[in-house]
This record gives sequence, structure tokens and C-alpha cells, in this order.
Amino acid sequence: MEGKIIVVTSGKGGVGKTTATSSIGAALALEGKRVAIVDMDIGLRNLDVVMGLENRIVFNIVDVVQGRCKIDQAAIRDRRIENLFLIPASQSDNKNVLTSTGVERIAKELRKKFDYVIMDSPAGIERGFENAIISANEAVVVCTPDVSAVRDADRVIGLLYARSLEPKLIVNRIEPVRVERGEMLSHEDVLEILSIDLAGLVPMDEKVLISSNTGTPLVLQNDSTAGQAFRRIAKRLNGEKIPIEIPNRKTSVWSKLSKTFGLR
Amino acid sequence: MINFDNTAPVKLKGAGSGLWITIDPSHPESEIIAEIDRLFEKIKHLAINVDIVLDTGDVGGQEELVDRIKSHLKSNFELGTISTSPKKRSIPTERRRQRDLSRGWNHHKSDVLMLRGRVRSGQKINAGKHLVITGDVNPGAELTAGGDIIVLGTLAGKVHAGYPKNDGAMIFSLVFNPSLVKIGLITATGASEPGTQGPEFACVEQGIVVVKNYMKENPFKRMPWPEVI
Repeated sequence: MEGKIIVVTSGKGGVGKTTATSSIGAALALEGKRVAIVDMDIGLRNLDVVMGLENRIVFNIVDVVQGRCKIDQAAIRDRRIENLFLIPASQSDNKNVLTSTGVERIAKELRKKFDYVIMDSPAGIERGFENAIISANEAVVVCTPDVSAVRDADRVIGLLYARSLEPKLIVNRIEPVRVERGEMLSHEDVLEILSIDLAGLVPMDEKVLISSNTGTPLVLQNDSTAGQAFRRIAKRLNGEKIPIEIPNRKTSVWSKLSKTFGLR
Repeated sequence: MINFDNTAPVKLKGAGSGLWITIDPSHPESEIIAEIDRLFEKIKHLAINVDIVLDTGDVGGQEELVDRIKSHLKSNFELGTISTSPKKRSIPTERRRQRDLSRGWNHHKSDVLMLRGRVRSGQKINAGKHLVITGDVNPGAELTAGGDIIVLGTLAGKVHAGYPKNDGAMIFSLVFNPSLVKIGLITATGASEPGTQGPEFACVEQGIVVVKNYMKENPFKRMPWPEVI
């Protein structure tokens, strides 16, 4: 059976596309699937650093599309998670070096070799984005609860619909305390505008930064709330029916008790 | 398009190479003449040698008033020919009402563009005449219509009714929160504060765009009869 290509996109930059891509890919591999993560952000690659594989790059996706190497030569195997591979982007080219037909041809091959191919789209809606979505079977839109991120996500959702892709939404970096104080949009506010199916809600978690900087997979950290959220998202994308968990403000036993007894 | 209770005593609009003046004889003559003077003062040299058509709308039997206004115009402004409106060829009101009573609008070919669903950021919708959207219009979307715009949902984004210069058009939505409103040639930016809860509509009054609560100031409330638009 042929694998599935899932594109992770957002429109706006800096909302957590790369973190989401690497985490979903790693989580799917932990589910026993053979997964390739493809960095389509040509010229501004990041996934290799986030996944801690930057020192092992020999070939990249541009080399594969232009026929300088085979997929197996460019795919870097992750040593910590079995069945997880990264095909990095080129850092020296620009987004126009890839043609849509070239990407489609490689996507076809990737589908034969892997159960899931997770493509990290660049920010924006230009050529790089077009190339990333051209062969996708499914799309995931990452959005933070900011007005500007929501507007860009909305635009991207429209473009994906135009390509007959029905995207699922990840609301990233939710801060329940700030939502409660009315300083941040809630996930309901975001859904109200974007009105697409939810893949999952990811809370703000400082471990994401540490994980990205050290190149360690977030989903392997059991104490990372974001990592666990991405594991649940991966399971949903894999077809499991798991209820959406809404990030809550952490409450200690003492505060719960004092609330119960009306002390505060 | 909107049948407001307080109609202006004088309306001035371009008709071919001339001007069409519609006067409402229910207002006192002095008020009508003062308004005509004000309007012609405003357009100044643009009215020189322009042909004028004087129209009293549906109200008949106003020949004397029309004559007095005609002579006032002749003596005070350098205009071209001044004529009265030709007899309307449209069916009389009574017949029209009879037709409406028997649902004559069933035979009316509508120019309304009606869409359902969500209009997303970056999407542009252009309608030749009226535009009805059953769904929400997101921030970053753009709507343009030659006539009215009705949104049965939340209206955000840019919206232009009465394109290009029909300032009699209106914009209605259940939640009115656009970033920019344009009716005909008149523009207004969105309010920084969200409006009142409930349906609202925007229209042009005295040269500016005003937003009103639809339930309190429904402009069609006093229309005795449904009318095809």
C-alpha cells in the first residue's frame, strides 16, 4: 500500500511548523510507522538542527529532485527513533530551483518507500509553498492564537481548499493563564474564524525551546506537555479516535483544596 | 434603495451629460429652494450650461411648484435647458401592488449573487448588483457589490456596497465588524471598538457612513409592501 504525504503549513512564519513537523514525524515513527520528514524550506533549512542531524547531511532534497543522488542516499536515519528519516533542504539554493513536476516525481517514489511523508512547508504562499503542497494527500495548518497568525492561516486554508485539500488545524502555544485573563485568543476564538477540523491543541511549553536547541526529540520527553500533545495529534492523524484535550491552567492540590473550602 | 422615513428635499444625480433633480414636494418650498441653492453652490462651475431635468417623483399635480423652481434656477444659475421628467413608462402603483399581491415577483429575474459558506482572508467577491452571503466573512476578505450587501453571519474584512457610486446602497450583517466600509464614493474605516451586539446595517446619511442597530432602526419597517429590488 502506498504511503500518505502530509504537508505542515501555516502562512505565517515562526508559529511552530518545524517543531510540529519533527514532533509529528517522530511520534508517527514511535507508533511503528516508517516515516520520512522532508524539509521543503529550501535556502532556510531548520529541521536538521531541530532533529539534531545537522552534522550528518551529505545530500539534500534538491540533489534528489535534480537527480544527483537517490532518495536513500539523501535520507538520514535518526539513531534514537527507529524508522524515522530526514531528507534535509538545501541551504545554498533558493525556492525556485525545484519544479513542481520534479517534486511530484519524487513524492511518488517517497510514497512507495514510506508509510508517512511529512513535508515542512516554508512560510508564505509563493513557489516554496506551492511545491510543498503539490503532492500532499493531507494538510495540517499550524496556527498560534494571534490575530495575524489566524489571518494568514485563514488565507492558507482557502488556498488548500482550492487544491481540494481539507486541512486540519493545530493551535500551538496556547497559554491558558493568558487566555483566562483575556490577553490571548482562546482556541474557540481561533476555531470560530477558521472553522476547520481540529487535529489538536498544543500548550506553551518551555521544553520546546530546549529540545529544538539541543536537537532532542520533544515527543520522547514524558514531562513535556507539548510533546505529549504532539503524540496525541500523531495518533489522530494515524486514524485513532482520541478526544481533544484542552490545555488547562496547572492547579496544585493546595489551591484545589482551598478553592473547595472557599478559602480563595 | 433604502426607503428612509426622512427623505431629502432635493436629490441631485448625474443623468447622461446632464443633471437630474428629484424634489420631494412634501417639504416646504423654501426648504427645497434653499437645498437646491446649497447643492448648486457645492458643484459650482460643473453646473454651467448643463441640461437639467426636474422630477417630482411619484407625486403628481405639482406643475406650479415646478414652474417656480424652474424660474428660480434660470435666474440664479447659468444652466442649459431645464425640462421636466418624461412621463414614466412604468406600471402604475396600483397595478404593481396587484402584481405583488399575486406574487408577480415570481417572474422577476434576480440579479442577486447569493453565496453560502465562509469567505476567507485573501478571497475577493465581486457582484454586479446585490450580494447575499449566508456565512461569515473573515478578516482580510474583500466584498464588492453594485447594490446592497447582506451577510447572515459575522462581517469582517473590507466591504464596498453600491460600487462604483451608488450611495443609496446598504450593508447589513448579523455581527458588524468590518475593517473598512465603502458605500458608493463614501468611505469609513472600521470601528476600533466592537459595535453593539446584534444585527446592524450601514448606510449613507448626510454624506457620511452611519451604522445603526437593525432591530431598532430597521429602514424597511415602514414599507407597506414588499418590493422587488
